[in-house]
Formats: sequence, structure tokens, C-alpha cells
Amino acid sequence: MEVAGAESPGRAKFALPVDSEHKATVFRLFSLASPHMRTFHLSWVSFFACFVSTFAAPPLLPVIRDDLNLTATDIGNAGIASVSGAVFARVAMGTACDLFGPRLASASLILITAPAVYCSSIANSATSFLLVRFFTGFSLATFVSTQFWMSSMFSPPVVGSANGVAAGWGNLGGGATQLIMPLVFGIIRDAGAVKFTAWRIAFFVPALFQMLTAFMIMFFGQDMPDGHVRKLQKSGEKPKDEFSRVLYHGATNYRGWILALTYGYSFGVELTIDNIIAEYFYDRFDLKLHTAGMVAASFGLANAFSRPAGGWLSDAMSRRFGMRGRLWALWAVQTTEGVLCVVLGRVRSLGVSVAVMIAFSVFVQAACGLTFGVVPFVSRRSLGVISGMTGGGGNVGAVLTQLIFFKGSKYSKETGITLMGIMIICCTLPITLIYFPQWGGMFCGPSSAKGTTEEDYYLSEWSDKEREKGFHQASLKFADNSRKERGSRRGELATAPEEKSSDPEQEA
Amino acid sequence: MAARRTLLASLVLACLAQACYGNVLFSSLQRTLIVSASPQPGQVLKAGEDKITVTWRYNESFAAGTDSAYKTVNVKLCYAPVSQVDRAWRKTVDNLAKDKTCQHAIVSKPYSPANQSYEWLVQKDVPEATYFVRAYALNAEGVQVGFGQTTDKNKTTDLFAVQAISGRHASLDIASVCFSAFSVVSLVGFFLAEKRKAKPSSAPN
Repeated sequence: MEVAGAESPGRAKFALPVDSEHKATVFRLFSLASPHMRTFHLSWVSFFACFVSTFAAPPLLPVIRDDLNLTATDIGNAGIASVSGAVFARVAMGTACDLFGPRLASASLILITAPAVYCSSIANSATSFLLVRFFTGFSLATFVSTQFWMSSMFSPPVVGSANGVAAGWGNLGGGATQLIMPLVFGIIRDAGAVKFTAWRIAFFVPALFQMLTAFMIMFFGQDMPDGHVRKLQKSGEKPKDEFSRVLYHGATNYRGWILALTYGYSFGVELTIDNIIAEYFYDRFDLKLHTAGMVAASFGLANAFSRPAGGWLSDAMSRRFGMRGRLWALWAVQTTEGVLCVVLGRVRSLGVSVAVMIAFSVFVQAACGLTFGVVPFVSRRSLGVISGMTGGGGNVGAVLTQLIFFKGSKYSKETGITLMGIMIICCTLPITLIYFPQWGGMFCGPSSAKGTTEEDYYLSEWSDKEREKGFHQASLKFADNSRKERGSRRGELATAPEEKSSDPEQEA
Repeated sequence: MAARRTLLASLVLACLAQACYGNVLFSSLQRTLIVSASPQPGQVLKAGEDKITVTWRYNESFAAGTDSAYKTVNVKLCYAPVSQVDRAWRKTVDNLAKDKTCQHAIVSKPYSPANQSYEWLVQKDVPEATYFVRAYALNAEGVQVGFGQTTDKNKTTDLFAVQAISGRHASLDIASVCFSAFSVVSLVGFFLAEKRKAKPSSAPN
């Protein structure tokens, strides 16, 4: 049943097996197959570049704070500013992806924030330093376009893994920069520059890298497996959606708000730790700055496998237990994260502290990966808005935790860390409230009432008039593909009354 | 093999020495040196341009033999309390191994009770702050055994300031602005190119 007026796309040849929406059903990490895997590599590298830029300042602070005559309060405020810009940028980015497609949206944001990174070189006061960190931080909204892009290119059974690896390898930038920037600074200084000039020159490296990734996205990327959003809109295959409706359906979905809150206590905590952990080890255990930087880097570098592991765990739980498995895994991992955070603040010896921190980093990042195993299913029409809200919520969590626990001298850093752990455990409880009528929630099974199938859930986002015009076709395909979220036991038995004969492209 | 053993032995010795080195409390040191520096109270020196002349000598009013262990004198530039406020990385701590008050070395000379002086160009990496000068007398093991400073006990008198270099250069400023402009212009260029590409594709395929 094809929409009148839209030509059915010629059966395009894809390198990877695809479903009825032409999304890849397998995730082959080391392939560059166009468009799916190529998109993956473009999006994680550009997100990595944005993380490198946003956290380029912390490892060089010992030099910058002397050059700009900063106080601890100035540094704390700049740290909060660096993560607060992205709160609204992420929500805006979600909408932009829904309307213009992730390729244009992400490339535009990256090119607009690159000047902030270049201008870090000419900062000359606490105020200008805060401003450049604030505007550079906007680039972290590319997280949303990354997740949106992965959800557009990969099918539900593998979307958790794709999202997890893309985001994890992007977040890696926060750790890599703690190694890269001191190295670049050292090279420039040894080449003859004065310390106060060397750090300024060093900032050109992340800035150029960021700009380069934007160019690569524009030249080599495409929005969806079938082409660019604009082209598809013009040819009528992808109807141009209405901003207010997209926003409405995203904002009125309570699950989006719950995930926004809980993501603040996985990803938000990760950002806070990125900003404070080097100083914590330096002060509490009298490490050299260089050593403290390496410990700080290892927190962020664990992202290489922890966040993808979260995504894989989500997909593995889904295969057996469906959406309920994804929710249980998320709650369990994030609560363990909270417990480890409490322990981290209490431990007194250096060796145990590093070990706890590494365990903590694995659980924090896995929780992030698990969150985005659930996000793609909350809404189909407003996927961008939901991704943006969740992403924005992550940054709100970072702002809140830094404001409450790590600004000024109210709490010592170790007490702040312990209290943050308690807050994590409390703010993870709302996951128990998430309920999908077609799949169930943590404590309740799926509803057996009429009108609670996948189709009903996703089509409820479209009005009758919109359905008449056929705007809901993509949601219909998605609903069909998401039936696997019932888990292995239910999925084989139940058949929804309006289930179509299986599309030959869909994998059994 | 023998070389490796010697290396290991000297490494162990160095670690032990380090362990001894760290336990001196500043409050246990006697102010046995008289130190003075050329800047007037409140004078502002330019980093990389101006010079400081430091002079120091042994204070004869102390009992004879107090300075028998002195081997070297380390002269340092130290932060005044006003520049330590809200900056934990410059904190004054009694244990000299953890003390961060004096972070810039001026000179290290063999000890002599007579008047000694040294002219020092204020280095380009000295940050903008208020300072005083302190000299530590070290014994043969490199442990502090005496000191002298240009200011009083509470570090409130005879302080001077340094105006740091900004580290900025005209070429850097221009490069930043040019690259930023290029970034924005290229974005506009991409948009225009996309618009132009989209026009012909609205024809039926």
C-alpha cells in the first residue's frame, strides 16, 4: 500500500541487509559501506571533535589560569557555562533534525561554533574565557544529531548498539583531549613559543579538526538511506512536517521527560566528573598535574567500550525480554553507578580510588548507552525532539550537580561526590514509571486491552486528517519493525489483527 | 648489568632522599638571612622587560655556628596573600613539601655569609600577581634549614606587582578572525550550493 503521488523508490542496492525502511539490520563496525556505516563514521568522528573542543581547556588550566589571572570561582563558572549552553541547543537540535535532517543540522552547528574555538586563542580575561567556553559548549548538541542519524540508519534490533558506539566513541573526545592538548602545548612550547602564547596556538588544533569534520559531513554524508531530507521532501516521499505538531507530540510524551531526568544522572554526572576529576586527584592525593591528567583521561577513555557495551546490553536484553528488559537493565546499571559514586567519595587510598573510579566510569557510560537503547522507541514522529530533550536533560544534570555540590567551598570534593551518588540513586527511580502499553514497563506487563499494539502507539501521533494524506507511512513501517521489542517469548506467539504480510525485505 | 644495578641503587637512594626532603615545617625555620629586593613597595614590573636585583646576607645577630650547615641558597619569587585568595593552587601550607607559595625560582647559589646579589630578568611566564622575594638556605642534603624574605611575618609590607605578558600576538588575532570568518562563509556557501542542487531535482525523475 504505497502513498499515491510518491513513486516507489527503485529497489536500491545496499551493501548491508536492510529492513522495510531501508535501515541496516546489522552493524558492521569496521566497514565503510555507504550509506549506513559511512554515516556512522562521519557522525562519531564529528561528535568526537566537538568533545575535544569543549574540554580542550581543562587540561591546560594551570597555564590559562595564570595567563588570564583566574580565580577558582572563575574556573568553576566557566566549567558550568561550558555544559549549560548545550541544554537548549540540544532541544533545538532535535527539532532541527526533524525538520532539516541531521546532515545539515550538525554541519551547521559545527561550523557556527568553530569560531568560538578559534577565538579561545584571543581570550584575555575571566569574562572572555567564560564566553568562549559557553559558546564552544553549544557544539555538544551534535550528540542529538548523531543519535538521530543512527536511529535513521539502523533498524531497532541494532539501534542500541549503533547509538551506543557512536555516542561512546564521540564521548571519548572528552578523555582524549586531556592527553592531546598537553601534548600539543608541549610541542609548541618546545618549538620556542612562550607558555602564554603556546596554549593559544594549541587551540587551533581542535578548531581546525572540528571544521574539517563539518566539511566531510557536507561532502560525504546523507540524511537517510534513501537520500537527503530536502530531496525526499521535494519528491514527496518524505512529507515536510509541521514544527508545532512535532514539538507538541514530543513535549507531551511523559516518557521523554523521565528519560531527560535520568539521563541527567548518567551523562550529566559524566560531564561533571570530566570537569572536576583531575583537580580531585591532584588535590586529595598530591599527584603531579601530568599524572592527574592521565587519571582524568582514563575516565573518559573508558567510553571506547563502556558506552557501546551499554548499547549492546540493551539490544541483548531486548532480544530475550523485549522493552521490559531494556528498562530493567537501565535501572540496575544506573543504580549501581550511584552506589559506586558514593563509595568513590569515601575511599581514602589512591590505588582503591582509581580502581573504584574506573568501575564507576564503566557503569556511568553503560547507563548512557542503555538510555539511548530506549529513546528511539518513545516517539517516531518526534524522535528528534525526544532525543533533544533527553540530551538536554543530560546537560541540565551536569549544571545542577556542579552548582549544588562543586561550586565554592560548601562541600569538600569527596563529600560532594558521595552526595552526588545518593542523588543518582534517587533520580534513577522514575524509570520504574515508564510504561509502554504494547510492551509493558518494569513492573507491569503489556496491556491486553484493545488498541494497544505498536501501530496504535505510533499512529496516535498523527491526526486523522494527516493519516488521510498519508503522512504516517514512515511511522507505520517503524511500528512493524519494532515488534521485536516484545521479546522472544511473546514475539513469536502474538499476531496483531492488522498485521500485514511480511515485507520480503524484512529479516525473519 | 652493573650499570643497571647502579641505576637502581641511585634510584632507591633518590627516593629515600625525597622522603627525608619533604618533612620540613616552615614554622620551624629561623629567619637567619636578611633579604632585600630592588622594587619599591607597590612598584609594577613588566614581565620579560624589567629586572629585579636581590641581595642577601647572613644575619650576624644569630649565635655563631647557626649557619654551619648552610651549603646553598635558593632565592624564589613568592605570592603575596592577596594573590592567593580563591586560588588553592597557590596555597600556603606549613609543610614545605606541600607548600605552593613560592613557585618561581630566581637563582640558586652556593652559600656565603657575606653580602651576595643577583640581577634577574622577570621571566615571561610569571603571571600577573603581587609578590615578595624569599630565600631558603639549604644544607648538603638539600633540606631547608633557614630562610629570609623581603616582607614581614604577615606578608603585608614591601610587596610589588608584576604585569604579565598577555601571550597574544597580532598574527594570532588575525588568524583567529580569518579562520572564524572562513568557517561561517563556508557554511553559507554550502547552503547556497544545496539550494542550487535542489532546484533541478524538483523535475520528475
